[in-house]
Amino acid sequence: MKREYTTQDRGGAQASNLQRRRLLQLMGAGGLGLMGGLPFAGRATAQEAAIAFWASATLDIGDGWSRLTEATGITPTFTDNGNDMGPVVARLAAGNANDLFDVGGFQGGAERELFRQGQIVPWDLAKIPNFAKLWPWAKDMAHLKADDGAQLGIPSVVNADSIIYRKDKLGVVDSYGVIFDPKLKGRVSMEDAWINTAVFAAMYLKESENQPIKDPGNLSVDELGLVMEFLIKHKTDGQFRTFWNGWEQGVQLVADEEVDAMTGWEPIVYEGQKRGLDVAYAAPVEGYEGWGNNTVMLRGASERGLADAAHALVNWMLDGFYGCALATSRGYIVPSETTAGYATANPAEFDPADISAKADHVASKFAGKVYWQNVRPDNFQLYEEWWQKLRNA
Amino acid sequence: MMSRASFLVTLPLLAILSIGLVPLVTILAWSFWTWDPDTYWIKPDPSLAGYTAILAAGRWTVLLSTLHKAMLAAVLCLVAAYPLAYAIHFLAGRRMKLLLMAAITIPFFTSYLIRAFSWRLVLGRTGPVNTLLVDSDLVAEPLDWLLFSDFAVMVGLVASYMPFAAFPLLLAMRRVEPSFLAAAQDLGAGFWHIVRTILVPLTRSGLFAGFLFVFVMVVGSSTEVQMLGGAGASIVSVMVNDVMRVANFPLAFAISTVVLVVLFSLVLLGNWAFRLSRLFEDAAS
Repeated sequence: MKREYTTQDRGGAQASNLQRRRLLQLMGAGGLGLMGGLPFAGRATAQEAAIAFWASATLDIGDGWSRLTEATGITPTFTDNGNDMGPVVARLAAGNANDLFDVGGFQGGAERELFRQGQIVPWDLAKIPNFAKLWPWAKDMAHLKADDGAQLGIPSVVNADSIIYRKDKLGVVDSYGVIFDPKLKGRVSMEDAWINTAVFAAMYLKESENQPIKDPGNLSVDELGLVMEFLIKHKTDGQFRTFWNGWEQGVQLVADEEVDAMTGWEPIVYEGQKRGLDVAYAAPVEGYEGWGNNTVMLRGASERGLADAAHALVNWMLDGFYGCALATSRGYIVPSETTAGYATANPAEFDPADISAKADHVASKFAGKVYWQNVRPDNFQLYEEWWQKLRNA
Repeated sequence: MMSRASFLVTLPLLAILSIGLVPLVTILAWSFWTWDPDTYWIKPDPSLAGYTAILAAGRWTVLLSTLHKAMLAAVLCLVAAYPLAYAIHFLAGRRMKLLLMAAITIPFFTSYLIRAFSWRLVLGRTGPVNTLLVDSDLVAEPLDWLLFSDFAVMVGLVASYMPFAAFPLLLAMRRVEPSFLAAAQDLGAGFWHIVRTILVPLTRSGLFAGFLFVFVMVVGSSTEVQMLGGAGASIVSVMVNDVMRVANFPLAFAISTVVLVVLFSLVLLGNWAFRLSRLFEDAAS
């Protein structure tokens, strides 16, 4: 029988997190009295620890976390971080996030910056044996490593995005050029976020217009100007119906036939198909925009003596069950051979064919050209400056 | 020695000062600090960089367009709410009065997100409005400008915030003696003459309070603009979110300070001109 995993109540997670902290304080105080002043934190082990996991809701497997406790003794408390790295970075740098949370699950791109600030600490791969089972390219992602090669983030979930389009109206689409085609003026949309829209436009300009762009995910000052001027021109020409924001808005644009094509997330295609529309997801010649949520160890975990528990948590996430639960509930994939392997070994829990198909689909996207989403490009404040110009154009 | 009444007033006053004023003064002070890329926070190096950045990238146009949207929405809410408040107070019977009062609160029954989202469904290409227009041959094609436009934003804002204009007007109309209107009528004054010379002057404080409530709410809103506006449509809250996302705190604080100064000026000016305190005075006084 297949299990359903639900998202944990946010308030409940926060409440339980606070209780856990209080409990640790009490246990620490009690430990001092009973055991001659040995600090509790220094003796924490994976078998007895509680870990506060502060991550995008995408990474939550709800009731499935009980399997982590069964396997390792770790009690996790999941808190949704809102999936917006702006406030997350601010709360780490200037707030109390490191006091409250032990492990983060963040959108990719800020790892090196957070490490430079001392907000996260590198993983010890010797304590994560399942890291070796990650897909090869997932092990080698440069933006997850420090200059000295230390591993800063562990890929927890990956996917790659492109174009959602009306196949009945447009035929087969294989280029982002459709988004900028004047024939579709007022019938296309992009996301209201520079972290995606600038990358898609840069990919198109680089690959199909031969513009001098090195890395669409990390544009130089000149490249950024080129890309944003291009978007501004199309916006002022009335090319975009709107810029969409969030799952419901994305689905509504497609389902209510407001647009014929838009850059966005693949699950929106499935939602459109459910409503009887002939909607498809493009495999563009310019490639996909890859994105990942990566697990990082917050400095606070190390200071509180919870590093071993944090390693045990992330190793379990790469062990197979977590990947299957995530693939079943959300369709996203942990880039590891253990995902399909666990389903094959446990057909009573998960449908092996379904899990393998999802894993193969994501793997096939990454077999081609992929440019990575980056929440913290070098000129990130300039991105915002240009985004304002675009808004006000 | 402090009297009992003074003591009772002092406590809430201190609470208001600590809850309200302290954060505002902090925002004002921090708007002059400098962002530190090493700490991702701000440091006390006095600078006007936040304020000069408002003049860049068209940000000042967002401030102006926000004030324009807020003003227009407030006026439209008053235009819609005034006859409603009049009908409730002067025309409706007891049962109808309750029914109309309940109807005003309908927008509060759902979340602001659902409210704005529902307008997308109503005003969209395949929504009921366009379907009706096309089916009745009034237009050949669905009207694109019904949704993702300034028109749609204004519809969403007025629908959401109209109750905030209606309730102060109701309060103000309670202060109008029906005998004044009857006397004017007996002396031969027409309806519009009564409205212009008696009703509006006596409900000025309610008109301004309603205007102010809607104006302030719209300045702080973002959902209606993001969901119903065109590509990249902006308002102050959206701009502050964009800026906070890249940790440009001094700029976010500077924008907030400018907005606060505008709002406080408006309140002080309005209180001076319209005597808002009269709204809460006893009708007989």
